[in-house]
Amino acid sequence: MVHISINGKVVKATEGEMLLTVIRRQGIDVPALCHHEAVEPTGNCRLCMVEITREDWKGWKRHVTSCLYPVEDGLIVSTHTPEVMEIRKTILDLQLARSPEAEIIQKMAEEYGIYKTSYDIVPDADNCIMCYACTRICEVLGRSAISAVMRGHRKVIAPPFGEEPADCIGCLSCAQICPTDVIPWTDENGRRTIWKKKFDLIACKKCGKTTITREFAEFLMEKRSIPGEYFNLCDTCKRHELAEKMGGIVVAALEVTL
Amino acid sequence: MNYRFKVEPSLCTGCRTCELACAFSHSKNQKPGLSRIYPLAHAKEKYVPVTCLQCDDPACVKSCFFDALRRNEETGAVELNLERCVKCMACVASCPFGCALFDDVHDEVVKCDLCKGDPACAHFCPTKALKYVRIL
Repeated sequence: MVHISINGKVVKATEGEMLLTVIRRQGIDVPALCHHEAVEPTGNCRLCMVEITREDWKGWKRHVTSCLYPVEDGLIVSTHTPEVMEIRKTILDLQLARSPEAEIIQKMAEEYGIYKTSYDIVPDADNCIMCYACTRICEVLGRSAISAVMRGHRKVIAPPFGEEPADCIGCLSCAQICPTDVIPWTDENGRRTIWKKKFDLIACKKCGKTTITREFAEFLMEKRSIPGEYFNLCDTCKRHELAEKMGGIVVAALEVTL
Repeated sequence: MNYRFKVEPSLCTGCRTCELACAFSHSKNQKPGLSRIYPLAHAKEKYVPVTCLQCDDPACVKSCFFDALRRNEETGAVELNLERCVKCMACVASCPFGCALFDDVHDEVVKCDLCKGDPACAHFCPTKALKYVRIL
C-alpha cells in the first residue's frame, strides 16, 4: 500500500497500479482515448497527461502520461494545472486536425474550449487515431488478427496483406473497444461481416436470435472448455428453460408431499 | 457466502415487482437499467423468479478473456467490472441459464450482482415469494 497526493488529497493505492486508475477511482475526470482497463497501457493518445512532483525533488516537476506511470509512495499529482490544460488543449487541437469527424474528440475538444482546429486538416483525414486499442485487445484474446501496417503517415490498422484475416474470429472486441468507432462491421441475415471477412452467427434453436459467431463459440469451447450445447439457445430461451426446470422440481416436490 | 435467494414458487404471483425494483435500483443517467430478474411462467398462472444462480464454477467467468467477471468473496456474487468489459458477448452466450444479459439502452452487459449483498428485489417482493436468507 502506497500513499499519494492527488490535487491535495492523500489517497491510498496498491503498488503496481497506474496513476490514471487511481485518479479515476477518486472520481476525477482525466480524459483519455486509448485507455482501457482490459488492455496494457501504451500512452498513445497522450491525453491523460498529469503533473507530478515529490517533496525531495526541490520544486522540480514532470509531465507524464498517467496511464503509464506506476504509483510510488510520496508522489504529488496535479491533474488540472494550467500547464497540463495547455498540453491537453494542444493534443486535442492536433487530434481534431487528424480526425475532424470523430464525435468523441469533438466533444472532448469542446470541453477544452476548442470548436475548430487551428491546424490544417489532414487531406485524407479519417477517424482512426492510431491508439492501437484494437490490436492490443486482439492480442489479449491471443489472436493478433490485425496490426499496424506501412510506415509514417501511411500507417493504417489492417489485417495481413489487406486480405481476410485468417485469425479473426469475429468477436467484435476491436470494434467495441475503438474509442472513435472507426472499424466497420455489420450483422445482417445471420451473417456478420468485419474486416471484409464473413462469419456465420449462431442462431437460437427456438427463436432464431443471434449473439456470437460460430468461430468465436468454437474458440471458447477450445480455450475455455465451455460445453458446446450452451450455445444452442439464446439467453431469453435459456432463462425460460431454467424456469420450466425449476417449475418441474416444484411440481414434483408438491406431489411427494401430498 | 452464507446468504442465498430462497424462492417459494407457490407464493409467486408473477406481479413483476422484483423486476421493477431491480431495474430502478440499477438506474443510470436517470434511466432504469435492464432487470436482472424475471418471474417467468412455467405452467399456466404459475411463476418462478429466475435470476443469476452465482454458480460455483461459473461459465461466464471462464469465458471472459479480459478478467471482467470476478467473484466478490464478501457477498459471493459474480460481479461484472464494466471498466474491463469490451462487450464481446462471450458471457451472454456462454451462461447456460441465460442470466448474463445485454442492455441495449445503456449499451452494456448486465448481470445480477446481489446489490452488494442486499438485493432490492427481495425487499420489494409483496408476497415474500423471494427472500434473501441466511443458510446453514
